[in-house]
Amino acid sequence: MSNSYNSSVWKLEGITKVFPGVVANNEVSLTLKPGEIHGLLGENGCGKSTLIKTLCGVHQPDHGKILRDGKEVSLTSPFSARNEGIATVFQEFSVVPTLSVAENIFLGVLPKKNGFIDWTKMYSDAKKVLAKINVRIDPEAIVGNLSVGDQQLVEISKAIAQNASLIILDEPTAALGLKEIQQLHRVIKDLKKQNAAIVYISHRLDEVVELVDCITILKDGCVTSDAQMTDIDISSIVNTMVGKVGEHYPKENNTQDEVVLEVRNISTSHGVKDVSFEVLKGEVFGLGGVLGSGRTEIAEALFGVKKLTSGLIKIKGKSVSFSNPQDAIKNNLGYVPENRKFDGLFFNFTGIENTSVADLKNVSKWSILDLQKEREEIRKLITKLKITPESESRFVSLLSGGNQQKIIIARWLFADAEILIFDEPTQGIDVGSKIAVYKLINELTSAGCSVILISSDHDELIAMSDRIGIVSHGTVVDILPPNQLDRVDLVKASTDEKKERIA
Amino acid sequence: MKKLFSSSITGPLLALLLVFLCVALTTDRFLSPGNLSNLILQVSIVSIVAIGATFVILIGGIDLSPGSAIALLTVLFASSIKFVGVPLPVAILLVVAMGALLGLLNGVLVAYLRIPAFIATLAALSAFRGVAFGFNNGSPVFSIHPDLESIFYGTFLGAPLPLYYVIFLYGLSFMVLRYTAFGRSIYAVGGNPRAAELSGLNVKKIQMYCFVIAGIAAALGAVLMAARLNSGSPNYGVGLELAAIAAAVVGGASLTGGRGNIINTALGAMTIVIVQNGLNLNTVPTSAQNVIVGAIIVIAVAIDIWRDDITSKIKGRFQSTKNVSKKNHH
Repeated sequence: MSNSYNSSVWKLEGITKVFPGVVANNEVSLTLKPGEIHGLLGENGCGKSTLIKTLCGVHQPDHGKILRDGKEVSLTSPFSARNEGIATVFQEFSVVPTLSVAENIFLGVLPKKNGFIDWTKMYSDAKKVLAKINVRIDPEAIVGNLSVGDQQLVEISKAIAQNASLIILDEPTAALGLKEIQQLHRVIKDLKKQNAAIVYISHRLDEVVELVDCITILKDGCVTSDAQMTDIDISSIVNTMVGKVGEHYPKENNTQDEVVLEVRNISTSHGVKDVSFEVLKGEVFGLGGVLGSGRTEIAEALFGVKKLTSGLIKIKGKSVSFSNPQDAIKNNLGYVPENRKFDGLFFNFTGIENTSVADLKNVSKWSILDLQKEREEIRKLITKLKITPESESRFVSLLSGGNQQKIIIARWLFADAEILIFDEPTQGIDVGSKIAVYKLINELTSAGCSVILISSDHDELIAMSDRIGIVSHGTVVDILPPNQLDRVDLVKASTDEKKERIA
Repeated sequence: MKKLFSSSITGPLLALLLVFLCVALTTDRFLSPGNLSNLILQVSIVSIVAIGATFVILIGGIDLSPGSAIALLTVLFASSIKFVGVPLPVAILLVVAMGALLGLLNGVLVAYLRIPAFIATLAALSAFRGVAFGFNNGSPVFSIHPDLESIFYGTFLGAPLPLYYVIFLYGLSFMVLRYTAFGRSIYAVGGNPRAAELSGLNVKKIQMYCFVIAGIAAALGAVLMAARLNSGSPNYGVGLELAAIAAAVVGGASLTGGRGNIINTALGAMTIVIVQNGLNLNTVPTSAQNVIVGAIIVIAVAIDIWRDDITSKIKGRFQSTKNVSKKNHH
């Protein structure tokens, strides 16, 4: 706790960690210098998370040493790691939503006077901490009421209050909008000036190259390219991570003339206002906009999760009305949700059961399952989508993010979906799997399926969509072909929205 | 799929053997033929009620009401035969239908009115027994029907009839859970209700049906209980809900839902009943017995929660020496 970030050099030497059937880390060595932002990259399953968990005391290495300024430290628990001056900001925050900002920052070390909490001191100390990173958040505000971006900053303030000498940021921007990402980057640069050693992990390479000073790339548990070797350049990083990949966005145009989905002035009581658009056969229709603009809400309205209060949906010219996802699935819609962990996957199921679940009728007769047929049919999909064969017998929790995502896509192929809604389909998966998802989208559209693509990755959205609807305040404000749009326009759309909100 | 169902029969089996050995070694009368056949009769009621407990636990719920439901149902059963003159087979059907109705009530409260299962069935635990006391001025109804006891004490090919009921019902439940779309949906709803809904499953209906099954299981337990004593009483079934839950949990069903094997529940039921039987034979007072059943539930749940840690540690030790070169696929 007391080790202020007075320029500690952290060294990992020959860290090896073995799990049943896999060497997660194999002789990993890394030097983390004060005042340096060190990018840690690699595909899912490359051993990044294991290394981070070793650093924050969750795992103990089988071999190898962790040194601070040349002295070996032993990190036997998350608590001891914190005491040694290591702070970790995870993708899933560990803030307590019902407490105030100040309470969260000093959780566990609340300042006390005569055995009671010294609220005045706590608020003023919290103010100082927030000032250090030039953030304006009210220390008395309840964290649950803050935006996701501000919650992330509270999380980082916790690390600063601990005077950590090593700060690990694990996918800190996964849930953030553009503005918030920019603010976070500014904060990280401030931390760097104050001489903390920073480890930065993200799947968004454009962000990484903008921010970091050096990069270490892991592959199959080993360091394939260390800080000296790695060029800070996206295409060379991608090549090192996955080998030769060919095109990053292998877009095909498969749009046909037929209108398959017609959305007319739909609204819900959950943030969708007067939305209209059409989707053609074989088309990828993108929905762009900032986080919280209502893209997911539109998807939920289309899929029958939320009821329409007005408006009309037509599929292939036929008027439909969905009171639940079952109705939507019957009309050949499929939904790949944004959060696969909470909304998509069954962790008590293997890949096979996860795939068949949306269309058990397909493998049953009079409600009796034909397990043999189920296995055979899904094995075909597993091969077709190049999902790891282990998914047949393993619980999906043991599969990589990319394989998990493909399982959910396989689920809708199995259910014969013709209109697929992809909500952030590549979030948190590695480059190789991203490209696999793009190729899948191509295959789907060339087979006559239509895709509604929701993405916060603007490069991806622009590259993969045939037309893009810009969403703001729960409504589609404009529909444009992607060649009339670039990143800047999408950013502008989001800035316009900010102005509106203030006005 | 294999994993879902073979979810280690070894643990519950070991627990059963351990308990069996302990009681057999410490208690003379335990292995006497009289006690063993008594044991089968005792297990039959608990294990049938535990089928219901397992279905409800599989969807991530809990049912605290079957003990009280059984009290109410025995009273209804006895009254309908004795005071109304309903023929025995019809009365059995009526009781099963009534049990389904009680389960439906729990199911509607939990699934559609979104009352937490713990609270809804806790209320039912109180209310069902309350209603039971409303009949016949709260007095038991004795000597229901001359043929009734043979349902419980009868034998076929030398084995007591309840053994056949148990085997049939467990066989049926196993088939439903493993080989039907409904069974698969139960595991899906228990594993991740939100994902189940987005996959087009009617989550509420499935949850409700599981409570209905629990009600039917309680009704079958009630018929056996009434047959065993040829009477119905508002005092029957006290603590049976706990024994049933303990059976499911000792059998490895996860209270968070989605994981569990009905055959293991049968092993769990045997374990619990043998413990109770051993304590009875050693004249341990009921109060202490209740404490012990409570302790067993805590231990079983702890094992469920720690299971992943324990197995990964054991496997890690074993495989790290063997299998170092195998790489992760993705």
